[in-house]
Amino acid sequence: MLQLAFRSVKERPGRFAATLLSAFLGAGIVMMFNSLHDTAAQAGIDAQSEEILSTTGGVVGSYGTLLVFFAVASTLTVNVRQRGDEIHLLRCSGATPAQIKRMIMGEAAFVAVIATTLAVLPAMLAGRLLVSSFKDSNQVADNVDYAFGSIALSTGTSITLLSSVGAAWLAVRRATSDPTTTAAKDAARARWRTIGGITALVLGAGAAATTLAIDETEPALMAPAAYAAVMTSIGFAVFSPHLLRALLAIYGRPIQLLAGVAGYLTVHNMRRRADQLAGVLMPMILFTGVAIATLYMQLIASDALDAGGVQKTADDKNLESLNLVIVGIIVAFACIMLINTLYAATSYRNREFGGQRLAGATPRQVQIMVAVESLVLTATGVTFGTLAGLVGILPYNIVRTDTIWPEQGPATWITVTALAATVTFLTSLGTTRRSLQTPAVDTVTAAA
Amino acid sequence: MFGRKSGAGAVKSAEALRLVNVTKSYGMSENAVKALDDVSLSLASGSFTAVMGPSGSGKSTLLQCAAGLDRADEGMVLVDGERMSGATEAQLTRFRRDRIGFIFQQYNLLPTLDVVQNTTLPLKLAGRRIDRARAERILGQVGLGDRLHHRPDTLSGGQRQRIAVARALVTDPSVIFADEPTGALDTRSARDVLSLLQETVRFHGATVVMVTHDPVAASYADSVIFLADGKLAGQMTAPTADAVAERLAHLGDPDHDTTPHHTDHHGVPEYANPYESGYRSDESSTNDYRFDDYSVLRMGA
Repeated sequence: MLQLAFRSVKERPGRFAATLLSAFLGAGIVMMFNSLHDTAAQAGIDAQSEEILSTTGGVVGSYGTLLVFFAVASTLTVNVRQRGDEIHLLRCSGATPAQIKRMIMGEAAFVAVIATTLAVLPAMLAGRLLVSSFKDSNQVADNVDYAFGSIALSTGTSITLLSSVGAAWLAVRRATSDPTTTAAKDAARARWRTIGGITALVLGAGAAATTLAIDETEPALMAPAAYAAVMTSIGFAVFSPHLLRALLAIYGRPIQLLAGVAGYLTVHNMRRRADQLAGVLMPMILFTGVAIATLYMQLIASDALDAGGVQKTADDKNLESLNLVIVGIIVAFACIMLINTLYAATSYRNREFGGQRLAGATPRQVQIMVAVESLVLTATGVTFGTLAGLVGILPYNIVRTDTIWPEQGPATWITVTALAATVTFLTSLGTTRRSLQTPAVDTVTAAA
Repeated sequence: MFGRKSGAGAVKSAEALRLVNVTKSYGMSENAVKALDDVSLSLASGSFTAVMGPSGSGKSTLLQCAAGLDRADEGMVLVDGERMSGATEAQLTRFRRDRIGFIFQQYNLLPTLDVVQNTTLPLKLAGRRIDRARAERILGQVGLGDRLHHRPDTLSGGQRQRIAVARALVTDPSVIFADEPTGALDTRSARDVLSLLQETVRFHGATVVMVTHDPVAASYADSVIFLADGKLAGQMTAPTADAVAERLAHLGDPDHDTTPHHTDHHGVPEYANPYESGYRSDESSTNDYRFDDYSVLRMGA
């Protein structure tokens, strides 16, 4: 079965492109920030350089790693889930569930190892660039050498492997479950999901409380706050099918009135497919939550310095912009994961679109349906992403400024929301447009 | 009973479907395969026709071109006297959804909609008024009166195909195209669905064109059109399963001049068919036939 796994990766490399891309970017980011620990751990490094390196590695490394773990896992879940037909075929050819599990997980591990290997060099270069930027702004002594060592390698490999193989395991378990016991298993799975979601929300709340307890001068203050935003995002994402259904119960009628038959299809579709849509909502909530949290905290930190009357040196300003670049890298990663997942989820729907067209839907009606769906998804994702972001921002702001509501205007929030909406609409509609170019009959009969 | 607004075919022209010199090729210029080679035929309103032929004979292409799912390279298609036109897929879709009903082997129902919603979807998409009572009446007639709010995946294959029949009927189309409608069904459900199709024609004036490779299914039709190598290869009226299987088995034979077939059926539609007087083997379409469907044919019988 492992041999089959290698073969299937080798023969159809295109199908693994999305998986490989997420694992590659994830491994790269984790290794880049964790190599700062390797650099800090070198003998003979001065205390100030060591502090700034391990703080950055610790702050960004911690929530960054967590983000990478969930983002990679959610992308892979969407990818593996789409292989239902192939898994069914294998079962029909006599493969046992255990064999299929080994194959899919073997593939995931194989892709993760390749992705990590490929990511080593770019991560090294990016890490070196980061350290030299620190040197340029005089945060790190010029005699410090960049090091890429065991910490970067081990975290990069383990996070990528764990998230890939873990996601494959979860997805394949669903695909190979014995149909006769599905009802009981579904209930058990729902219970586990609820427990997982509640745990994430509790951890998020705990991290927010921790933030409140930390001294405002502590440089690592941002870490628990960002952690709170990530964990709350995960919690919301787990409950997103319920949240989506609740929202549809309220807005279902107005959507149908406004968007006509396309709205009618969207509402019915989303209600039934709420569980699958959670796979798309996860990266969207993560993106909005993490982007809003980290960007606002960075702004709050800068403004707090200004308010303190401290005259900023050129180095301070450099550090500020460097911090924004670091946050930007994380946000960009979350955004690419969102695009990746949306693309995978939409390109899988050829058959569904074909069915609608054969039932008499014009290509335009299908496009409108996808647009309405994107609108609902964006609204849901942004709403809960914003809430999750606030769970991180508010305690941070309270500690830094002694006020509850940050005074930084809504401009950043509007930008993040606009970006989420743009990315969602462009990716979904672009992918749908491509899918609509295949004759409807082919999409329905090809998989039959 | 199926609620046609007026008597069978009264508002429609007597000719439900006409194909004139329809040609369709696949592939690039050098290794292009002619799936349909200059096919002309005419089907009367209220007829039930089966289209048969071995794999690769062009029967699916015929259905797709006639139904506007694919565009013919040459020739024209008229549905209910109107020429099928449309430069874009949206225009073709609009033409289709007003005049044509579909039944597919794989049902092609939307899993997220229930039985009534699936049935009325073509009306909704076309922006037509939804007569719910009529839709429910049709569903009652196809035997799904007590399943109105079930979702397709909770129903059997036969029941799903009956939803598809109801959906095809609800728009009151000029022609209903059925592509292997019994291909995924067990013998009993297949019989039910075929009888249902027969009823829609006999009692309610619908026009049905069914592509199949099962001689038993074909025997439910009023007449059978045979295709070989993308060309019409004869017809048979009042078919029986045995006669159809026999004819199919010898479709490519070079010396096969006549096959016993019935012509005593009254009121059968006329075919603008070059082989009208009976089957004559075309010299050019000789032995290079692969009857990979053959065992299936016999098993079905």
